[in-house]
Amino acid sequence: MTAESSSAGLEAAFLDNREKLVRFLRARGAGEAAEDLVQEVWLKIAASSPGPVASPLSYLFRTADLLMIDRFRSQRQAGARDRDWSDVNAGDPPGVSAEPSAERRIAAAQEAASVLALLDGLGPRIAAIFRRHRIDGAPQKTIAADMNISLSTVESDLRVAYRALAEWKERAP
Amino acid sequence: MASDGTIQEQALDWAVRAGDPAFADWEAFTLWLEADPAHARAYDEVTAAVTDAAGLAAASGPANDDIVEEYAPALQAAHAGSGPMWLGGAVAACVALVGAVWMFQGERRDLYTVETALGETRAVTLDAGTRIELAGGTTVVFDRRDHRFAQLDKGQALFTVRHDEANPFAVRVGDKQLVDIGTVFDVRHDDEGLSVAVSEGAVQFDPSGADVRVSPGEVLRSTAATYSVSKIAPAQVGEWREGRLTFEAASPAEVAAQLKRATGIDYAAAPGGSGAVSGSILIAPLRKDPAAIGPLLGLSVEAQANRWVIGAR
Repeated sequence: MTAESSSAGLEAAFLDNREKLVRFLRARGAGEAAEDLVQEVWLKIAASSPGPVASPLSYLFRTADLLMIDRFRSQRQAGARDRDWSDVNAGDPPGVSAEPSAERRIAAAQEAASVLALLDGLGPRIAAIFRRHRIDGAPQKTIAADMNISLSTVESDLRVAYRALAEWKERAP
Repeated sequence: MASDGTIQEQALDWAVRAGDPAFADWEAFTLWLEADPAHARAYDEVTAAVTDAAGLAAASGPANDDIVEEYAPALQAAHAGSGPMWLGGAVAACVALVGAVWMFQGERRDLYTVETALGETRAVTLDAGTRIELAGGTTVVFDRRDHRFAQLDKGQALFTVRHDEANPFAVRVGDKQLVDIGTVFDVRHDDEGLSVAVSEGAVQFDPSGADVRVSPGEVLRSTAATYSVSKIAPAQVGEWREGRLTFEAASPAEVAAQLKRATGIDYAAAPGGSGAVSGSILIAPLRKDPAAIGPLLGLSVEAQANRWVIGAR
């Protein structure tokens, strides 16, 4: 990667803050894998070639944070899948796992429906803010300005939505 | 996991704060995480639940959109590969969508397709001020993550677009780009080429190439290499929505293509036919009597098997 490349700013920020990122990843639960994961963070950024980034340091941390969230989700879902499959396919020969069934696809659709119902049940403003922020990726400040409400209202609405979703996940893991 | 209410409350706070693209206080966040390994775990639980839910909600289509239920099965997620695929089958589709959503900076598109059958029309609302009406036989691709983008693959659509100077609405048509300047405009893209008719505001055609401004009451027609701009009555722009079609010096092939789209009846142009067709017609009567197009536009009409072949008389 040359100094002229578009990701030069990010690369410099990465090299300058490598230790901070490792520390963050370790605190985020990466443990021994923190050193490997910091490489993965950089590879992800290099592969996505985001172009000019307003705040390189935040971009690095965000990428690291999202990587950890994804890791957590994939581990948990792999665990859930193994459980489901051994339940359903108890009679299969060892080492043979069936394809996800039609029931599984229907279950996924039902899950989506229950999430939508849950969000709508929180009220139209909360549901709209959640969508704008988490699906469209709009910053909280922008949402506050667009909807003519305060930033702290946006934050507290998101908090209500996050709490409800965390509880929903606990009920039906 | 939620046995410690305080930790969960704090995790909720951090999930809201750190989840914002503008968040910058990673130092303080790191310190909180380091204080207790349970913090990271609680934060993971919250953010994973939120990310899962956002993925499921996104996969179900955009909000305020009357197409959600009908088109959910036909949703097509298009995105760059995003790391390893850990999950098989059904869940993989959801995960792929989440993958497309989880980089806030948004370098990826998250596309879905809306199609109409011949003779059918349909409206898609992207936001309070932006509405796209699809004529028959039309395919338009939208981006769940970018409500200022549409791609007309084929057919015809009327765009009524909320103008935003800082973030103009862009329509991709073939290799051409259209950018709105505050607008109601109609775009047609078929074998006969591309046409853009403007009734309000203006549209910049092909800003990176020809860079032509199309003003109200103008229609730009473009084929492979050339384009021309002519006049059109603003009331005619999008009149297909009321079941009316107007032709001015159109070729029989153009007429046949538009009739087919509007009625779902299989019209075709006689091979080798030329001639300029002009006139304005209501399409409803054609559904009962496809041959009625002959006297209305001064064309010859011949029934061949299941199609109606039209030509200059």
